[in-house]
Amino acid sequence: MADAINQYHSLLTVLPRLGMPLGFGEKSVEQLCAEHHVSLPLFTLISRIYIQTNYFPSIDELRQCPMQDLLQYLYQSHKDYLENKFPHIEQHLSKLLEPMDKKYSTLIANFYATFKEKLVKHFQYEEEVIFPYMRQFMSENVNADSDSRHSNAFREQHDDIEDTLNDLTNLLLKYIPSNSSSSERVDMLMDMYSLSSDIERHAMMEDRILLPYIQYLESQCHD
Amino acid sequence: MIKIAIAEPSQMLRLGLGNMLRELPEVEIVFSTDNLNSLNARISALHPDILILNPQLYEYARRATIRAEFDQLPNLRFVGLISSYCDSQHLKQFSGLIELNDDLQRVKSTINQVIGAIQNDSDEPDTDPLSDREKEVLICLSKGLKNNEIADTLNISVHTVITHRKNIVRKTGIKSVAALTVYAILNNLIEEKDII
Repeated sequence: MADAINQYHSLLTVLPRLGMPLGFGEKSVEQLCAEHHVSLPLFTLISRIYIQTNYFPSIDELRQCPMQDLLQYLYQSHKDYLENKFPHIEQHLSKLLEPMDKKYSTLIANFYATFKEKLVKHFQYEEEVIFPYMRQFMSENVNADSDSRHSNAFREQHDDIEDTLNDLTNLLLKYIPSNSSSSERVDMLMDMYSLSSDIERHAMMEDRILLPYIQYLESQCHD
Repeated sequence: MIKIAIAEPSQMLRLGLGNMLRELPEVEIVFSTDNLNSLNARISALHPDILILNPQLYEYARRATIRAEFDQLPNLRFVGLISSYCDSQHLKQFSGLIELNDDLQRVKSTINQVIGAIQNDSDEPDTDPLSDREKEVLICLSKGLKNNEIADTLNISVHTVITHRKNIVRKTGIKSVAALTVYAILNNLIEEKDII
């Protein structure tokens, strides 16, 4: 496990969300998964999404994974963003905006607030609509004419969120006057980049795992 | 779909690079070859967008004029696959270079750059500041005008407005109108009170 993390440090964010603590010594991935009751195929699936940007899992690979656990993982990620990642960025942001002209700083603060609001709404939509919809599907009691519209709205929202995050990063990188504290700004941007890439992975998981899986389930129940 | 052809004498490199490229979405390898025989004909038949070519395939004296060999294929892009030392003069003929130590990410970005160059062929470079016209379009956008309203205001066609918008997005790296508005205010193009 340590080898995997040393080589692909972005996996570091994955462990706590699966309930796997650090300090695991020399244990292997298999051992740790068994110890913490994490499905090995699921761990592999998530890790591959993080490591290989062009990885599209096949339905067979998906069928080996307990999707309930994936939903739980996604839910934990949402929580992680809201409870850890965002407060961190907000701290940097408020320090960064402090020395700026009020009329500019309010503007950026508002833009950030709008972005966050959009993201929170999206998380809520997933947690309240998509996830229960999937759970309902997975518990054998499926209503064949269940409404499948949900899967479509999904991807668009993701693109939109990634674009906004990207816009925000570019504003902060390129267009904020340089008088504000530079180390603060570098820290903030580092955080933003790591958040962007994590959210991108998060969206990939939903687009490449959840969505095909929903569609697979839908097709199964029509047969 | 981006069509790629590979011309590389080493089987190991040819197959290895082919496998890496297959990892990329929207890439299709139309053929790969280890020699120059009928390279031109195959390219004309299968019209790849990009030819990944090892300059070592040519004897030294011909290397300076590799591009000239493909004169009749003006749209073909050249990417050099560099496995040993090459004169930098010769390398200038290529739009991008792939080297032995490049990882997938790197190869991908090289390919993307070359593709981007195809798509933006006639456009100005990204580093230019916004033109006056683009600034005017940006100001209209920030005020909440729609494409057709901007076209009317500036007396240009909707099509032109769209082109300007594309250029604004490309140059600033910012897509959403909300963020562009922030950009416009930060750059003193508009006052906050102008926004509805």
